[in-house]
Amino acid sequence: MTVRDLIQNRKVIVCAGSGGVGKTTTATAIALSAARSGRKVLALTVDPSKRLAQTLGVDRNNSEPVAIPEERRLEAGIEEGMLEAWMLDPSVVADSFVNRFADTPEEAARLINNRLYRQISRMVAGMQEYMAMEALYGFLREERYDLVVLDTPPSRNALDFLYGPSRLSSFLDGRIFQLFLPDEGRISFIRRAASRLVNRVNAAIFGAELYGELQEFMGSFSGIFRSMNKNAADGMKRLRNPDDVAFLLVTSPATESLTDAFFFRRKTVELELPFRGFVLNRSQAAGTPRVLPDGSLFAGTPTDVQASALEKLMVLARIEQAAVERHARLLDQLRHDAGSSATAIALPVISSGADEMRALVHLGNVLMES
Amino acid sequence: MVDLFERRVALITGKGGVGRTTVTAAIAVAAAKRGKRVLVTELGEPDGDYTPLARIFGRDTLPADPEHLAPGIDGCVLWPRRGHEAFFRTVIPVGAVVTAAMNSGALRKLLDTAPSFREMGIFYHIFTLLEEQVSPGKPRYDVVIVDMPASGHTLGLTGLPERLLALMPTGPIAEAMHKGRPYFTRPDLCGAWVVTLPEVLPITESLELIEGLEGHDTPVAGILVNRVVEDPFTAEERAALEPVLTPEHYGYERFVGVVQATAALADLRHRTQTTTVEIPEYPLGSMELIDAMADHLVVEASP
Repeated sequence: MTVRDLIQNRKVIVCAGSGGVGKTTTATAIALSAARSGRKVLALTVDPSKRLAQTLGVDRNNSEPVAIPEERRLEAGIEEGMLEAWMLDPSVVADSFVNRFADTPEEAARLINNRLYRQISRMVAGMQEYMAMEALYGFLREERYDLVVLDTPPSRNALDFLYGPSRLSSFLDGRIFQLFLPDEGRISFIRRAASRLVNRVNAAIFGAELYGELQEFMGSFSGIFRSMNKNAADGMKRLRNPDDVAFLLVTSPATESLTDAFFFRRKTVELELPFRGFVLNRSQAAGTPRVLPDGSLFAGTPTDVQASALEKLMVLARIEQAAVERHARLLDQLRHDAGSSATAIALPVISSGADEMRALVHLGNVLMES
Repeated sequence: MVDLFERRVALITGKGGVGRTTVTAAIAVAAAKRGKRVLVTELGEPDGDYTPLARIFGRDTLPADPEHLAPGIDGCVLWPRRGHEAFFRTVIPVGAVVTAAMNSGALRKLLDTAPSFREMGIFYHIFTLLEEQVSPGKPRYDVVIVDMPASGHTLGLTGLPERLLALMPTGPIAEAMHKGRPYFTRPDLCGAWVVTLPEVLPITESLELIEGLEGHDTPVAGILVNRVVEDPFTAEERAALEPVLTPEHYGYERFVGVVQATAALADLRHRTQTTTVEIPEYPLGSMELIDAMADHLVVEASP
C-alpha cells in the first residue's frame, strides 16, 4: 500500500492532524497529484488560509465548488484531469441542507430566515465539522468526483474533527427537542412533572421571551434536525469503508504534534476508521543528501574571516545534521507504528520564498514517488 | 516595560505549531517568579485524554477546580459545566432545583453540545474564577492566564458576548454577559498576546488575528515572537560564505533562515505599532526550556 495507490484509487482521502502541521498544504498537494494523473478531484477545505486560495486562484467564499482557472491548471500541469476547490462556508451548506429537506420552498425560506437559525448555523464549534462531513456525503452521493480530498478543520486536537459531528448530532438528539416542545396532554404524571421543572429552569435561564422563541425554533426544525442526525450517523458508516476511504495523518517532527499523531492512530483503530498512513511534514528526512561544510569551501588557505565564518557555520551545520538523523529515525518509527496496512512518508520543508504552485507540484511528486 | 502580567486576564493566542502552549506555561512561571498568584487555564474537560499544557506540569489533564501545579501556580480547565452550574445558582434560588437541572440528562446534553451555550459556560466559569476573593477586595488570583485554542476558535470565544447578546438581548444570560464583559474588553483588565514565529506567513496571519481580536473589542497587549535565532555572523563572515555555500551543505538552511527571520521581524515592526517581544530559541527540552523562557520574560517585563 503506497500513497500513490491511495491517490489513484480512493474516493475519499481525509487529511487530519493538529493545527499548524501543514495539513492544508498536504491535502492540496494530494489533490493536485490526483488531478495530474487524470482524475476528477475536489479539494474540500474548511477555513483555509488566504494564501492557499490565492495559489489555487479561487475565492474563499463561493457557494459551491469552482474549477481552478485555466492558467493555474496549466501551471500545475493538469491535462486530462479536473481540479475543483471549495473553501467551505458552513452557513451555505446549512442553507442547502434546509432547502433539500424542507417540505416546500416557502417552508425552507421561512426556516432560513428564522433569527435563531441564522445565529446557530454560523456558530463555529461542531457546526463546521458537521457541515464538512455533510458536504462530503453530498458529493459522494452525487458521484460528481472521482476523489474528494478533505482537509479537516483546524483544531488543536486532531480528534475534534471526528467528535464534532457526534457532538452536534447529540445536540440534535430528539430528546433535547422534546424538552422544548409544548406538552401534548397525554404524557404521564412523571413526565409532566419533569417537564414543568424543565420549563421553570429554562424560563429562568433563557428569560421568558427567548424561551418562547427557542420553543418555536425547535418545533419547526425538529424534523430537519432529525435528518441531519441520521446523516451524521450514516456518514460515519461511510467513512469506515476501507475500499473507498483513506485517512492520512499529517504531523510535523515536533514532539507535541507527534504525540497527537500516535494518539490519533490509536483512535482510528478504536473508531474502525481506515487509517492508511502518516505524513511527516516539514521533515529534514526528505531533503537532498547533504555534506558537512569544510575548508574546501574556500580556494586556498582560508583567511581569518573565512576561518571564523566556517567555525560558526559548523555549529549550525551540526544542529541541522542532528535534525536530519532524528527525522530519519522518526520516519522509521512511524513506518513501524503504521503496521502492514499503512505507510509513512516524509515531505520536505518548503522554503518561504518558493513559488507556491511549483512547491505544491513538487510535494505531490514526492507523494507519488513513494 | 512590557506589561506581561499586570492585567487580570492574559489570553494567549496564536496558530498551531508556534509554541503557544509552551509560551503560556513560561508566562505563568514568569508571573509566579514575580510574586503573582497565578491561575493557568485552558478550555477542556477534566476527564479528557490529555493536553499539552497539563503534560508540561506533569499531569494528563487539568482538574475542574484549581489545584496547585507548581510554586505560585494553580491550574484548572475552563469547563462549560462548571460555568453553567455557577450561572444556574445565580438565577435559580433553590439549590435543589439547580441540582435537578444539572442532573437532567437532556438539559445537560443541550448545554454541553449547543454551540454558544458551551462557550457561555466557559465564559461564566472564568468570570467566577476572576471574581473569587480570599478577603474583601483581594482576589484569589492576580492573573488568570488562558491558553486559547487555535486562531479561528479564539475569535469564536472572544466574540461570544456580542453574539449571545445579539441572540438574547435581554434576560439573565444577557445580564451575565454585561457583567463579565469588562474582563475581556477593558485594556486595564485584559490583554491578548498573539504568539507567532519570525517567518513571513505566521506574521501575516497574526496581524490578521489582531485585526479580528480588535474587531471584537478584545484589547491586544502585544505580539510574542517565539524561536528567534540570533545571527552569529559578522557582515564580513556572511559575505565570505554567501557565494560558496549551497543547499547541499549542512548549515545552509539556518544560514539563509536567519536572514529571512531578521527581515520578517523588521517587516513586522514596520507593519504594526503593537508591542513586540522576542523570545529566543532554546535548544532545551521540557521544563528546562520553560524555566529559561520564563527568566527571559521576567527580564523583558522588568521596569
